[in-house]
Amino acid sequence: MASAEAMPLSARLKSWPMWMFMAIVTACLLAVGAGREAGPLTQQERIDVITKRLACPTCDGESVFVSQASAAVNIKNEVARQVASGQRNDEQIVAHIEERFGGRVLLVPRATGFDSLVWVLPVSVLVCSVAGLAAAFRRWRREQGLVPSDDDRAMVARLLAEEPEDHDEVPR
Amino acid sequence: MLGAAGIGGPIGRAFLLVGLVGALFGFVSCVMGMRQKDEKLLRLSLRFATLSAVSAVGAFMAMEYAMITRDFSLDYIQKVGSRSTPALYNFTAVWSALEGSILMWLLALALMTAWIAWRYRAKVTDPLVATALATMFVTAFFFFLLTIGPADPFAPGESGVTDGPGPNPLLQNHILVLFHPPILYIGYVGFTIPFAFAIGALVTGRLGEGWLLETRRWALFSWGFLTFGIVLGGWWSYEVLGWSGVWAWDPVENASLLPWITGTAYIHSVLVQERRGMLRVWNLSLLAATFSLTILGTFLTRSGILNSVHAFSESDIGPYLLTFFAIVVVVSLVLIGWRGDRLRSPGIIDSPMSREGAFLANNVLFSVFAFVVLLGTVFPLIVEALQNRQIVVGEPFFDSLATPIGIVMLFLMCIAPVLPWRKASTELLSQRLFWPAWCGVAALAVAVLLGATGLEPLLTFALGGFATGAALRQLVLATRRQKWRGLVGRANGGMIVHIGVIMISVALAASNSYTRSQELTLAKGVPASFGGHTFELKGFVEESDARRTSIKVDVSIDGGKSYRPAIHKFTSMGQNVGTPSVKSSWSKDIYLTLEPPVKPTSNEAKIKVFIKPMMTWMWAGGILMAIGTVLSAFPGRRRRPTDPVSAPVPTALTGTSP
Repeated sequence: MASAEAMPLSARLKSWPMWMFMAIVTACLLAVGAGREAGPLTQQERIDVITKRLACPTCDGESVFVSQASAAVNIKNEVARQVASGQRNDEQIVAHIEERFGGRVLLVPRATGFDSLVWVLPVSVLVCSVAGLAAAFRRWRREQGLVPSDDDRAMVARLLAEEPEDHDEVPR
Repeated sequence: MLGAAGIGGPIGRAFLLVGLVGALFGFVSCVMGMRQKDEKLLRLSLRFATLSAVSAVGAFMAMEYAMITRDFSLDYIQKVGSRSTPALYNFTAVWSALEGSILMWLLALALMTAWIAWRYRAKVTDPLVATALATMFVTAFFFFLLTIGPADPFAPGESGVTDGPGPNPLLQNHILVLFHPPILYIGYVGFTIPFAFAIGALVTGRLGEGWLLETRRWALFSWGFLTFGIVLGGWWSYEVLGWSGVWAWDPVENASLLPWITGTAYIHSVLVQERRGMLRVWNLSLLAATFSLTILGTFLTRSGILNSVHAFSESDIGPYLLTFFAIVVVVSLVLIGWRGDRLRSPGIIDSPMSREGAFLANNVLFSVFAFVVLLGTVFPLIVEALQNRQIVVGEPFFDSLATPIGIVMLFLMCIAPVLPWRKASTELLSQRLFWPAWCGVAALAVAVLLGATGLEPLLTFALGGFATGAALRQLVLATRRQKWRGLVGRANGGMIVHIGVIMISVALAASNSYTRSQELTLAKGVPASFGGHTFELKGFVEESDARRTSIKVDVSIDGGKSYRPAIHKFTSMGQNVGTPSVKSSWSKDIYLTLEPPVKPTSNEAKIKVFIKPMMTWMWAGGILMAIGTVLSAFPGRRRRPTDPVSAPVPTALTGTSP
């Protein structure tokens, strides 16, 4: 173990206090950046945010925001009217549109009933594969002693090279 | 003249029949040649491959000829041809609907089959190569069959038709229609080659690393084209569709993303096999998955079962594709199961904190990502089948799951490039990660100073900086040692690809989080301002030809150059298509669209303005990815995989390189 004085500058620089310092700086920057308000949205931006959550009822898979179909334009205009009147918040506007234009306008599956599977399944696949990976590493760690290391192989190779006659005689 | 004009149909059909027979005979010559150990028969396969390729080229040219001469005796030309389509878009109209797309797929596949047959002509007596070729012939046969059966591009149409509607207006609006589909298809079809070699390795039981080395470059080639094709698709969407986005999680986009995800997982995990002889079953499964996902994606989007903006009209191609998909999956699974004993990997992975551990984590993430995309794409079908009700799974679902996955992937890109094989100590990590981590802090600081908000984008910027630092560290070390050669080879080229990916991620995070938008009603001569810019209506430009009438508005940004967003009305389709106009710079794009209704006489126009930060970074990232892929295809200075762990493989004695 070398003392701090004997270590080269680059190694001393990269020691744990500097990492701590870096972590604190990062945390502060994140806190400042993520904590502050983004500023108010323009009406148009509110309309965009809401219409991105709504499906165009006639065009299979496109959002109202993306689509230029007339059904989508109708919904877009209704959202614009609601935003302009300023009486409802985003959730209420989405609910209003759903009520007015029927159930097929939601672009995000609900988190209840059968539809919740679309959220549950990815999470369970992730959990299962991480668990599987963890189990594999546990097994590998157990096996680690059983598999010859590079040093073992080198030793075998050296011994075989040293005593070729012996090696030949063994099977006879 | 009339006689020559109608000749495309019969000639094209004849070419397709010859190609079908060529592919069938090619397959037979490979299989019989192997069984009878008949070298002459095996060598014939090159001729049959050439015959199919020539036929496919002939059929494609016949289709182009019919399109260019406006041969309305064909059903396909009646669907997508029009006398008023300009020459360029008339040329590309060949792949603007189902039958022509399958023809283009076939063209790429037949050419690749011939290329493989020629490239390995000296080794065709090797059963592994012969089996791979036979697999390619089967695939080519299947696609020839499609063009003769359910997706016949040369089917005769109703008589008496003298003009048609032309291709979908969106497919005659931008030059990219010439590049995006063919490049994407080359990528799609290219994955047949590594798949074919995987089948060859499984059938012959020669599962040593030889076949991998042989096909790694093919996988990279296909992956590169697929990547570039997808990026071009994003660019096209941005430049043409007018909603200012690049990716809508549309089923067809997802269908191209799925093989890309599994292909990306493969080109990472294959390195573990080359180096350590491990993950054999997994790698074979990834190749099989990639190939079968190209077929499944085509089935989902081309059979009419799922609709999307990209989808063509319904056809009965579905059962064919589904059957072929089922065959591919079953054959792959059976072969992998049958060879299970030879596939058992001999080594162990010592520590999660190692290069191979990072590749495993990468593969878990990519698999989950692929699962999310596949589930989201087919979930409406499942719900409809089980509960007989319709739901839509769209962008917000994919975004909310893809964002955390993307952030963890970025984190892996920070750590993985500095990890050594086998095991890393904490000291080593703290040494190697120090400066890259400070790059991340610097990126975060710059973002915060520029006013960035929100946890997700800030994390993306910080990790993006960190990962760029890690990639640059590798490149700096390599170029210091090997001069310019430090930029080629898969590790170094791969780092350039990483930087491209990071630029795209950062651009996506910035443009998704900080886009400002506003609708402005401009009156002539009265500037309006938004987001620190002024917009002034200078005038209207009206143009019209047989194909469409267009209204463009001249909008001067900040008193400078004019930009011209437009609305085109396509006469034959009665469809309005908007075309945005974009002012780009490194920091932000100003994206203008013209909103209907437009009345030039009123001297007023409604435009929508999007101010989108960092969009140029996305295209630059795409170009960097392409450059990096090319560089990583060149052999760098690297050792052959002679790691002791891969030595005691039972097949090592027979597993010579094909």
